[in-house]
Amino acid sequence: MRVTIVTHRDGVEQEIAFNYQKREDNERPMVLDVLLQAHLDSIPDLAFRYGCRARNCGVCTVDINGKPRIACRARARAGDRISAVATLPVTSDLVARRDGIARQLHGKLAGLPRHNDLNVEAPDDYHALTACIECYACLDQCPMHARNFDGTVPHQIEDKDSLPDPSQGYRWGNPFSLLKIQRYRLDPLTTEPGRQAGIELAESLGLDACIDCPGCKCGVGIDLKRKVIQPLLQQSNQQAETGD
Amino acid sequence: MNIQTEWRDYDVLVVGSGGAGSHAARAASEAGAKVLVLSKDPIGCSDTKISEGIATVRQCSADDDSEQTLSENLRMAGADLPLSKITDAFATDSIDAYDQYRINGLRPPIDTERQTPKALPLPMGGHNRRRSVGHANSGIAFGHASCDAVIANGGIDYLEDNWFIDLVKTTPTDEHPAGDVIGGISYDAARGCLVAIRAPSVIIAAGGLSTLYFPKTDTMRGNTGDSYAIAARAGAELVDMEQVQFLPFCLTSPPSYEGLLCGEPVTASFLGVLRDNNGKVILDGVYLRTRAECSAAIMRAVEEGRGSPNGGAWLDMTANKTPPRSGPYFMKFLETALPSAYRNARQALGKAAAKCDEAWEVRPGAHYHMGGIRVDENGASVSGIGDGDSQSGIHGLFAAGQAMGGLFGANRLGSTSLTEVAVFGSRAGNAAASRARQVGVPHHTDSQFNDAIDAATGLFGQAGTTSAAKIRLELQQASWMAIGPLRSADKLQAFQADIERWENQLQDISIPGYTGWNQSFIDYQELRNMLETAKAVSAASLQRDCSVGGHVRLDGKEVSLFSAPYSTLVHLDNGGVQSRRTPRTRTPFARAIAYKFAEKKARLKATLLRLMPATLQDKHLEKRYRAIMGASGAAPMMPGGTEAATADAGNV
Repeated sequence: MRVTIVTHRDGVEQEIAFNYQKREDNERPMVLDVLLQAHLDSIPDLAFRYGCRARNCGVCTVDINGKPRIACRARARAGDRISAVATLPVTSDLVARRDGIARQLHGKLAGLPRHNDLNVEAPDDYHALTACIECYACLDQCPMHARNFDGTVPHQIEDKDSLPDPSQGYRWGNPFSLLKIQRYRLDPLTTEPGRQAGIELAESLGLDACIDCPGCKCGVGIDLKRKVIQPLLQQSNQQAETGD
Repeated sequence: MNIQTEWRDYDVLVVGSGGAGSHAARAASEAGAKVLVLSKDPIGCSDTKISEGIATVRQCSADDDSEQTLSENLRMAGADLPLSKITDAFATDSIDAYDQYRINGLRPPIDTERQTPKALPLPMGGHNRRRSVGHANSGIAFGHASCDAVIANGGIDYLEDNWFIDLVKTTPTDEHPAGDVIGGISYDAARGCLVAIRAPSVIIAAGGLSTLYFPKTDTMRGNTGDSYAIAARAGAELVDMEQVQFLPFCLTSPPSYEGLLCGEPVTASFLGVLRDNNGKVILDGVYLRTRAECSAAIMRAVEEGRGSPNGGAWLDMTANKTPPRSGPYFMKFLETALPSAYRNARQALGKAAAKCDEAWEVRPGAHYHMGGIRVDENGASVSGIGDGDSQSGIHGLFAAGQAMGGLFGANRLGSTSLTEVAVFGSRAGNAAASRARQVGVPHHTDSQFNDAIDAATGLFGQAGTTSAAKIRLELQQASWMAIGPLRSADKLQAFQADIERWENQLQDISIPGYTGWNQSFIDYQELRNMLETAKAVSAASLQRDCSVGGHVRLDGKEVSLFSAPYSTLVHLDNGGVQSRRTPRTRTPFARAIAYKFAEKKARLKATLLRLMPATLQDKHLEKRYRAIMGASGAAPMMPGGTEAATADAGNV
């Protein structure tokens, strides 16, 4: 099975053709299987992330034919083009720099009062959001995240020195950060000031970008639009109307 | 080659950001320490995150689940290898430590009558009480808690994409013959630099060694023995390194699913049995057995030529499914008790197997390492005779989670590790912060870091003819044969000769000169750690010349109640590995016999149940399922909607 792997070293992009050798006659390998074999047989310094091979850890996300997929559970097909996710800066080959995403939440909701009865059940929607594995597939097509890169994706920006420094956390948000905020808001231990602070944080990360957006796609099937975006937008509107 | 070094100062350095690392960092930070967390994977992406998400919470189903009951349960399951000081610490702290997860957002189902987290319907294999709590979204829910502990609170510095290379110590003196930890160096792959961290306390929480057996493992790729190799190179002692836990029921095929978990002894339920390739029952009452017993039964069948085509055995649960009244309850139980394991089985084995119309081909897979850095009940490095003492250990070195040894000995009961990381992460965090307060800024000069920095720098641009990936594959295949679930002195000695050969090949690995995310440099460091760890496991395995714990020693004798228990100790000495034994306290005969008797009685009941007339058996089982699940069956545990996944739609 022939595929194309896009490598990336010192700013130079290269397309490498790789022919996957099936291990069993009727094997339907995952993209991760292809990468593992390529690393072993033909590209000894190929850089890519992986972890659990069972779609739980969320670190092996790559673009397949331009769309983010979780490599350990995406079947490889002849002709596939495998590259690093386009929505984040490439560090090497298929490895994208991830830490600027979560870092934008560093300490942002700390120090607010909390309820202290631990023996309360969380609502179903809370658990629905905890299903997020942080694969960052949701960054694809996100207009809020794109604000970090002049409305486009990092590799389209010519002047690399003008790229934001991920070590500082990105200025503008994304569906993942909004999910973490909404999860915090749904937590029965969060108090009213915490819920309001959550809305304010979402607004400061650029929630207005969601208003006319058709919606985001989750890598593991969480209904982001209904369970994250709409509730945040509604609450934001209400607070605006009541002058909070 | 020239790679820049960034210098940083902290009170406590935590290596690893999974369950243990995040609890350690939070505890140290709360105790007032300035903390840095280094993680090679993204924050929180660890074995904790991909686990089954079941934690041990003492007294969540019964008031008589005393500290002593739990502590003793751990020690006896661990064949008297665990230290009572350490199992006592686990039992004492387990409730409060678990609550730390809840403070960071973990929300279990609640038993409203007892006002506690709700226990799973059956005790997990080997537990003498129902005290295991399952969670929606399994380990992923714990991953969020780990991540939030480090990131959300804001008081902790962290760097991911960082491969910690080595500890740095003071020059040994008469007073401190082992030298004191003063920090360490790390490779920051994302930023393409080295980081030199000056810190009087370092907590190693960098996970286990299961990648030695890849792909016959269900754990994270990053388990390359970093914890053990880093500590051993700094002179620390390791304990019970031969004790690798193999989960009995992992998948054998197709290749993409090889090694992944498909069940636990308890999910085999009342009538599940293990069969060899001839259809003969090799183990019944599977749901009452420990993981070690199931693994041993499978591997003995393999050794005697009665194994399944892919070197395992058959887990046959059809008898649970067939009875008209209790069958539907069983299916509900199987689907909901361990949802991620069931999902793996359904995807890999197909519909007939998923409905339990066929037996499942299973083989043990490496899951957890019970051995590790020899520590006291606060995670501080110890050495010396008996339980060891921290005075003669490496001052300033702490360990938590899979990195530490001494808690589980020869067998770890299901659901205990998620509690372990909370208990000992917190303890190590507090102890490390307390040491940092006492010691203050260590008296040292940066020159003590130079050797480690020079060694790392010198590797960039190393010319060679081979790759770390190639040697790693050879090592992984040989590890399964030599230090896997079946072992013998002959194979272990041959393996040690192989390790020496591979170590000599390290200098022939080609490493390009670029400094930003240099995968060859990373692979080199991980391979070096895997080799050092394999050396420690093989030396300890030779020292353990009988079958105790998670593996079978083919050329050794079985142990009885009368055998004197001992732990193995290993340390590195001028590159060579030294091993010895240290005696452990045997459980008083009366207690041990009572424990064995209760075990035997439960198993006899299980066998009788299996042989009961069909209608009677069905009625009896229906009653039991209703008692544990309620009339409507257990509530589904994964409301996260795995069916509708868009990123892998059409691939299931």
